[in-house]
Amino acid sequence: MPQVKIIAKNFMDMVASLPAIKLDKLYNNVFICEAILRSLPPLAKKYVLQMLYIDVAVPATVLEEWVLADGASKHRVAIDRLIQLRIFSEITDRKRGTSYSLNPTFQNNLQKHIISGGVLPREPMNSDNSIKLPSLQELETYALKQWERFLLQLINSGQGDKLNGISESMMKIFQRGLLSQRDKDGPRLTESGFQFLLMDTNAQLWYIIREYISNAEERKVDPADLISFLLELSFHVTGEAYNSNTLTELQKNTLKDLEDLGLVKLQQGMKGNWFIPTKLATNLSVSLSDSSARKEGFVVMETNFRMYAYSTSKLQCEILRLFARIEYQLPNLIACAITKESLYNAFDNGITSDQIITFLQQNSHPRCADRVPAIPENVTDQIRLWESDLKRIEMTQAHFYDEFPSKDVFEAACDFAREWGGLLWEDSKRMRLVVKSEVHNQMREFLHTQSK
Amino acid sequence: ICYVLEFALVRFLQDSMVNSIKGVFISCDVPMAQFIAHLNNSLPPSQKFIIQVLKLDTTCMFVKPHAEEMIHSAVITFREQNSYDAKAN
Repeated sequence: MPQVKIIAKNFMDMVASLPAIKLDKLYNNVFICEAILRSLPPLAKKYVLQMLYIDVAVPATVLEEWVLADGASKHRVAIDRLIQLRIFSEITDRKRGTSYSLNPTFQNNLQKHIISGGVLPREPMNSDNSIKLPSLQELETYALKQWERFLLQLINSGQGDKLNGISESMMKIFQRGLLSQRDKDGPRLTESGFQFLLMDTNAQLWYIIREYISNAEERKVDPADLISFLLELSFHVTGEAYNSNTLTELQKNTLKDLEDLGLVKLQQGMKGNWFIPTKLATNLSVSLSDSSARKEGFVVMETNFRMYAYSTSKLQCEILRLFARIEYQLPNLIACAITKESLYNAFDNGITSDQIITFLQQNSHPRCADRVPAIPENVTDQIRLWESDLKRIEMTQAHFYDEFPSKDVFEAACDFAREWGGLLWEDSKRMRLVVKSEVHNQMREFLHTQSK
Repeated sequence: ICYVLEFALVRFLQDSMVNSIKGVFISCDVPMAQFIAHLNNSLPPSQKFIIQVLKLDTTCMFVKPHAEEMIHSAVITFREQNSYDAKAN
């Protein structure tokens, strides 16, 4: 099965890939500087802070002295990251060798930030408690509901209610790569689409935001402005109301799209319009590995291959339908069974057994999650066995070589094939070789040069 | 002298031509290998597809390119014959 993976890249990787001018413009915003500082590896953070008040370039040798001998690789990683983000600029001098200096904009802003503590361009509005704000619990339910509605709309455009902010064309952009257009039955999920559904919420959110930002240029929106707004949003306080009149046009338009994704809640009243950021928004600048907001699990897996999912969500029902047979649905429960047919169906669609098992483990009910192992071993073993049953025969397009003129040519050919990762089988006694077809052309040229 | 050198050059080029055959490399377990061998033997000589069995325990072999599809569908049929389907009764 082809291994197509959806890589939900870190926000910072996306920032790092911006062109130099845009990146420098981004550093004008104090919050971006702070967010980027937070995302740096520990050694890089130390270097930035140590150089914060030094105005001249520091020679690379001095920096190297700050690290012990066995930290050399981490040192390299930190320096590369800093150069990639244009926080460090490298100056090479014939006499004095390489030296590094901090990006001046970044430096000034961070200095100011340390002293003043960083003030958001807007204050929370509700100082006199005149507006009735939703509680944090209500806000979280709202965010989740919006996100699920969005996902349902994403994978099945027919079902589900229409969304307000996100236009048809935007949906098509998100669906690109996740769904394929089939004329007869309507759009169908692709392999990547299935893998996307089985990822956890943070990773899915990243994917959507990344597509949204990459697509910004086509909509005549500057991606740097978008990134800076999103990062700024992540520094707001969850649950507090902020007045919308402090926003630019672009930001107001973005807010409507973000509402559909469940990142903010828009409200209006006597005091005007305001928006309330949800947890999904404030988690934006946090790196992927740090997923503190763990949804409560809802799946109970039994040793007789029956699965009980305590959920009322349509989306989760659809996800379970991907690899299990839904037996019946009660008001608070979905009863399913994992069968060979349902799994073969999933494998045909490109889902791997690892993804299914990870999904089950991450979403297991708290009662089950405490048990070790959370999912019974006979179930996980059987899922893997069924998958390997489909892969008993490995077939590769290849070429068979024999009648080598000499042992040396044969050995050289073997090494050549090995270097290119194409060596499938060799027989040194009878001097025969099997090499992948992708390497055949290079092999032929190599053999021609050998015979000269 | 000229002729001798030229003749030697031609001989050298001819000798050093490595032979290559295009096909499909198959790696599997012993029962599957037996199945493929059985499939091969059941075909008339003109359609036999195994070019070369590469290992003594038959777990690696080299077959003709067109055989890939055929082996694949034969294996699927074989597997389905071995699976119990409650609804099929």
